[in-house]
Amino acid sequence: MDLFEIKEQLRGAGILVSFNGSFSHSLIEELGTAVKKYLESAEAKPSAMMDVFSVYIEAAQNVRNYSERRLAAGAGKADLEANILVIARRNEHYEISAGNTIDAADVPALTERLGRLADMDKAGLKALYKEQLRRERAPGEDGAGLGLIEMARRASEPLRYGFTPIDGGLSYFSLTVVI
Amino acid sequence: MDNLSLPASGATPAVDFDASTGVLVLSGESYPENAFEFFRPLLAWVHAFLEHSTGPATAEIALSYLNTSSIKSVMDLLDLLEAAHRDGRQVSVRWSYHKDNDRALEMIEEFKEEVTLPFFIVPSGA
Repeated sequence: MDLFEIKEQLRGAGILVSFNGSFSHSLIEELGTAVKKYLESAEAKPSAMMDVFSVYIEAAQNVRNYSERRLAAGAGKADLEANILVIARRNEHYEISAGNTIDAADVPALTERLGRLADMDKAGLKALYKEQLRRERAPGEDGAGLGLIEMARRASEPLRYGFTPIDGGLSYFSLTVVI
Repeated sequence: MDNLSLPASGATPAVDFDASTGVLVLSGESYPENAFEFFRPLLAWVHAFLEHSTGPATAEIALSYLNTSSIKSVMDLLDLLEAAHRDGRQVSVRWSYHKDNDRALEMIEEFKEEVTLPFFIVPSGA
């Protein structure tokens, strides 16, 4: 394997941090610390640093929670390990991208949700955030249902997303947040 | 009632809840994998404290970053304090943040919008 070539490709694409594999909580934490240190050394503005870190955490924890749920529901391990997380610097913006395998059955609801967020301005997103903050949590829910809204609020443009169908009733979900 | 004290870890804040003074200190950052698990005993402690005593409760918060599930849990904590405030209890929140951290300030202001109890936002740092 020509790692030099991969390294050059990453550099060419402005990729600062990339991870491919199964997310564990300790990994999310360690990578988060590395991301923070990098941004500090690159003298990023404190607000940009907070935005990148926050979007990174929400994206990684969303992927991790989703994988845990699928695993609990009896999904195979292999497709849960195909998680990708990338932080890039492009055109004076930071971009955080996350990719993971999801059930094809979840695509319509997620598409609808992301489409709604994409149509909202900052005031609308804040209102939705407050509404979700005040919603009663269902028993067994692992997140607050605020992650995507939070990412949309921190983003400087609408969230970019796509789904690639995979065999076996699965789909690969990719999400990019531009800060 | 016993005090509740936890050191900060990589993704969880330092906690120091003192039953004798009613001062509840939370500082650092909070983004654990399962924030609800982390906050459950804290909320139970505050609930018991408010039930079993009548003295003032003062939350001294210096949390600079919360992931969204921690935000939800801190909202639950503020709701407990807000309910006590509405019952006539002497309750207040003092939340400090580094003055360069605009995002922390925005987060704190959004919490403040949700309650009517005395809530002071305190910038720090030279």
